[in-house]
Amino acid sequence: MINIIAIQSILQSFVSDISDIQGATLVSPDGLAIASALPERVDEERIAAMTAAMLSIGERIGRELARGQIDRVIVVGEKGYSVLVNCSDDAVLLILANANAKQGLLFLEIKRAVAELVPLLAEQPKANLLT
Amino acid sequence: MSHQVREQLGDFSSIVCLKSIIAGMEDALGEKATAIALIAAGRARGKNLAESLSSMKPSTSLEDVADRMAIALGKDGTRLLVIDKIVQEGEVIKVYTKETVCSAGEPLGSARKCTFSLGTVWGALEQLLGERLQGKHTESVLRGNTHDVFEFTKRS
Repeated sequence: MINIIAIQSILQSFVSDISDIQGATLVSPDGLAIASALPERVDEERIAAMTAAMLSIGERIGRELARGQIDRVIVVGEKGYSVLVNCSDDAVLLILANANAKQGLLFLEIKRAVAELVPLLAEQPKANLLT
Repeated sequence: MSHQVREQLGDFSSIVCLKSIIAGMEDALGEKATAIALIAAGRARGKNLAESLSSMKPSTSLEDVADRMAIALGKDGTRLLVIDKIVQEGEVIKVYTKETVCSAGEPLGSARKCTFSLGTVWGALEQLLGERLQGKHTESVLRGNTHDVFEFTKRS
């Protein structure tokens, strides 16, 4: 079984330890929330579906426009960043960061978080309803 | 249905138009992103439906849930699908449906899976049973089965 508590703890630390990170959620490729550390008043279920759909669209764009394997999808707004990263075949990680975040540092921290999460996800049985 | 949102045409629209919407979404967004969006939309619809059903009388038995959902979604309701029965086998809840809007008009052997129909049943069950569920379309009328079967298990 997947260790939800450990994953939740990683996400929680990630958000609380790094000042410019505002939220993080890990979702299944079919759009169901696995674990979250999101700001209050955010609809976890909606964000999960949106995250999986966005990455899927990103992958489709990558294919159609011959950009190869998609590493991440980034949405930059005036108030900050939303970064979507494939986190093994079984999960997608969404990170929310404020506008002050330094991109290089942000991506390095995301890479570290992914490296911590991937071994825990390897224990998860595949349950993708869309395949 | 007692309420009508359109003066001349009433509440219902052709499945042909719905299929065109889905085909257009799949063309623009891809099958997977479309499926995710339609399942999410179905779950939201199912949740709202369940809230309206619960407001009549709280429910605990699967039989009662099945009866209420069958009426709300079937011939005398929104005509999304027919629910024949809901059974529990161990930890799995199986919902036997037919004439789903998702499978309608599809050729036999089509690989199409139910999305909005699955999501609607999923959202309604989650709300009525008060549990987070993982849903899956396991048997299809398009692949020789008698029903479109949706299976649900508890989600952590």
